[in-house]
Amino acid sequence: MATTSDTQSDEMLSSGREEGGVEEEEIESRVGISYTLWQIRRDPTALAGLAIISVMTAIAVFAYIDAVIFDRLSDYAFFANMGVEQYWFANNYWVNPEHDPASVRSLLPPAWMENTFGQGTWDHPLGTDHRGRDILVRLFYGTRIAIQVGFISTAIGMVGGTLVGAVSGYYGGWIDDALMRAVETLYAIPFLVLVIAFMTAFGRDLTYAMIGVGITTIPVFARLIRSRVVSVREEDYVEAARAAGVRDRNIILRHVIPNSFAPVLVQATLQIGVSILIVAGLSFLGFGVQPPKPSWGQMLSQSRGYMLPNPWFSVWPGVAILITVVGFNLLGDGLRDALDPRVNN
Amino acid sequence: MLRYTVRRLLQAIPVLLGIVTITFLLTDAIPGDPVSIMLGPSPNAEQAAAIRAKYGLDRPLYVRYLNYVADVVQGDLGHSLYYGVPVTQKIAERMPVTLLLLVSSFTFAILTAVPLGVISAKRRNQPTDHVSRVVALIGVSTPSFWIGLLLIIVFSFHLNLLPATNLIMPWADPVNVDGAGSRLDVLVMAGEHLLMPTITLGTLQMAAITRIERSAMLEVLSEEYVKLARAYGVPEGTILRKHAFRNAQLPVITVVGLQLTAALGGAVLTETVFSINGMGRLIITAINNQDYELVMGTTLFFGLTFVIGVILTDLSYAYIDPRVTYGERE
Amino acid sequence: MNGTDPLLEVRDLKTQFFTAEGTVRAVDGISFTVEEGEIVGIVGESGAGKSVAASSILRLIENPGEIVGGEVRYRGETLVGFEQRDGELRERDDMLSNEAVRKRIRGREIAIIFQDPMESLNPVFTVGGQLREFIEINRDLPESEAREEAVDMLREVGIPEPVKRFDDYPHQFSGGMRQRVLIAMALACEPSLIIADEPTTALDVTVEGQILDLVEDLQQKYGTSFIWVTHDMGVVAEICDRVNVMYLGEIVEQASVDDLFHETKHPYTAALLDSMPRPDETVEELNPIEGVMPEAINPPSGCRFHPRCPDAREVCVNVHPENRAVAEGEIHPHRAACLQHEEVFRAGYWGSQPLDDAERAQRHRELTADGGGADE
Repeated sequence: MATTSDTQSDEMLSSGREEGGVEEEEIESRVGISYTLWQIRRDPTALAGLAIISVMTAIAVFAYIDAVIFDRLSDYAFFANMGVEQYWFANNYWVNPEHDPASVRSLLPPAWMENTFGQGTWDHPLGTDHRGRDILVRLFYGTRIAIQVGFISTAIGMVGGTLVGAVSGYYGGWIDDALMRAVETLYAIPFLVLVIAFMTAFGRDLTYAMIGVGITTIPVFARLIRSRVVSVREEDYVEAARAAGVRDRNIILRHVIPNSFAPVLVQATLQIGVSILIVAGLSFLGFGVQPPKPSWGQMLSQSRGYMLPNPWFSVWPGVAILITVVGFNLLGDGLRDALDPRVNN
Repeated sequence: MLRYTVRRLLQAIPVLLGIVTITFLLTDAIPGDPVSIMLGPSPNAEQAAAIRAKYGLDRPLYVRYLNYVADVVQGDLGHSLYYGVPVTQKIAERMPVTLLLLVSSFTFAILTAVPLGVISAKRRNQPTDHVSRVVALIGVSTPSFWIGLLLIIVFSFHLNLLPATNLIMPWADPVNVDGAGSRLDVLVMAGEHLLMPTITLGTLQMAAITRIERSAMLEVLSEEYVKLARAYGVPEGTILRKHAFRNAQLPVITVVGLQLTAALGGAVLTETVFSINGMGRLIITAINNQDYELVMGTTLFFGLTFVIGVILTDLSYAYIDPRVTYGERE
Repeated sequence: MNGTDPLLEVRDLKTQFFTAEGTVRAVDGISFTVEEGEIVGIVGESGAGKSVAASSILRLIENPGEIVGGEVRYRGETLVGFEQRDGELRERDDMLSNEAVRKRIRGREIAIIFQDPMESLNPVFTVGGQLREFIEINRDLPESEAREEAVDMLREVGIPEPVKRFDDYPHQFSGGMRQRVLIAMALACEPSLIIADEPTTALDVTVEGQILDLVEDLQQKYGTSFIWVTHDMGVVAEICDRVNVMYLGEIVEQASVDDLFHETKHPYTAALLDSMPRPDETVEELNPIEGVMPEAINPPSGCRFHPRCPDAREVCVNVHPENRAVAEGEIHPHRAACLQHEEVFRAGYWGSQPLDDAERAQRHRELTADGGGADE
């Protein structure tokens, strides 16, 4: 899915090419982009995507504050005295049986169901895992990982890919050949395998998962930008800038990249969803966030041993991943339709 | 066409060399040492030196690299420390399983996605289209391994219909297959074992192809030449099957080729979910055991499979679109 | 009018496009006829609705467009026919079914040549194969005969080595050659009427000249009628017998070529003629039409041309002129939709205040500015 727009990207958004000098051209294309982005307000599916992403991001930020920032703050007596502690929210406003070993009940079903371990309870709306932890709470904190990984790894791929693609497309010749072969190579190794090898070499934790996934994303953006650059390079205003003695680096930064912004934005939105899926897969294989920190993929991995007694344990993390990724795909599709009116009409 | 094929094959060489290089460097960066694996945590210095010399680990990086490349060119992928057999032997043993899985999942994906995409485009914005779009959206947004878990829960645990683990090769000898009395039994069992892994691995491909098939078809249907065919009284069915379909397959082919890398990664997950001993699990085992040459060998296999797949898709692209090969000639 | 029925008769045809921004009245009640063996021009600026009109005749309008009214009759058959019933416009019972139009009319009776020869041929099939297929379908010939016919036709339209070129793909042909192939397609189906939708616009001038000569020769030879859609008055002068001038979905003037050029009755036609480059004038003397055509989504009140019309008066803002016979013609009367023809329209044009330039410019700005920005 990451690549579906690849073939279309060439034709996508040939923003303002009629009249005007350098300045006019840029202003026109930027106004054009923000105007088309504004168009998605009429697209209910894109708005639904945006809503999902906003909610998930809000949860992620909240979870980050509760899990990480409060943890740091609790080192200071001032905050500790105020009752600030890690998982302050979960501990105080949410049942967390880990703090009350006597009442731990593991593998409970959702509240409205019953299984061999007993009747579900609204204390644990989605049930509990094999160690009696509330599944909803763990999903809640897992959101942070998914969103963080999606945005950061895509940002890495976007920046890296943009640089590689811009340089490659702009200079052409042997630089182009060498970079494109390198990108093809990177693409030829299945990204899951590549990231696993990368993480084995450098470290198994989340940071390397994000860097690894980011690197495997570079080819997608590099190709996209390159195809844009190759077409933009021939445009009159770039010729004009070059003739006026503007340096190559500045031409790329000021003219070429801003003009390729729209397709990159679409690709990035879709890519975030893909990255979330890849990282979930990595966690499932044991590469990624290490327990006890929760991530969705890791929860699915743990649930494999309990699919018979409490299948719901295997259901919920997948649902969370599905909803989040659907959000990014809906928004990405909406953006693409808005920027590529041919398909939309 | 022949010229184009040769050209395409030659272009693949630097990519393969690149794969070997990346794998070699990454593997070299993996902390730990085969010596410690073979001899335990506190090895005897002499033995250690002997093993290092035996595997050439005492030589500088570039020498080892050149040696490795030279060996690979001759078809020697080295020796698996963990399994104690040549890497090529291990790959030969596991490869059919993964290839079977890949072929069956792509077959499943293409057979379902192409009609779905075409119908979707044809009945644009009608209920059929909405349903197929929702299915495709969910398909590209679902983690494949989760689909596998759900299938196991429903069809293996609750309905007791399908086996949850392992694969049986359809060409296996009935004597070696538990519970099989004849060739037919083997085929049936192979099918039962293959069904859920195929859906697990194929869903993403299916969804991705449906999406591109739909949009490609919509685009082609709005082309001037389709309008011309309509204007000359060509029946709508012929337009769909002949005039539009062939053109619409071009972007689809590209996507199928690119999906291959996702599918190979997906194979690792699928094999893990269904405990299938294929290439995917082999590479995970190799990494977990720091079995360097096996890691390199399996990665190379994945890269090679991808490169071959892409060449095949490029060739079928060229077969459909005459502009590709003619363009090369000029 | 002269006793026999025309080959094609279009009456009050209306085609609209239903877009998110509003309803575009692309063709807004046009009427014209085509006689046997005649070349009738439809001329106007881009966006005037010429191509939509051409496609409407063969019912080739696609979503979100729709033919919403009027009548198209071809040799006694009703290609398009709407009637008022229960206060609603409905398709008449005698209107041909989609299937019948496809089988009996398209290609077989009326063929079309589209504007862009580069896009009109399918890139993945051979040129000959595409031509052969259309011949097979529309002349009920077996494959081998259709193939022979196709080769003959390619030769006829001036493709060198037609037997060899038969198996070539479109990308191996130049633009002019592809347009010849498209003409061959149209002629090979032996239709009685060919609709040529700006067939030479995408070609350079020398090639355009060759194609026009070719069409004239073939038209003489086969006696086929043509509807020739163009924005180029030069092309009109060269090949058309009669001309319809379209502006914003309406026909504003209708006359024989001679009358149109020498007895121009509408200021828009005059402006078009003025803007035409001529060998006896320098570029400086060229007189382009002021402003751009407003969008058909929200046409100006009164006469649609008034915001750009040098002769516009107060009355033109309020009174919308239908085209009416304003002078005699050879066979058909000379029709025009301009209030200047006081003797026919009696709207009080000459007693009305002329619009001053500033006022007109202001109105034109308003119209063209909010054409696309009508948000809510």
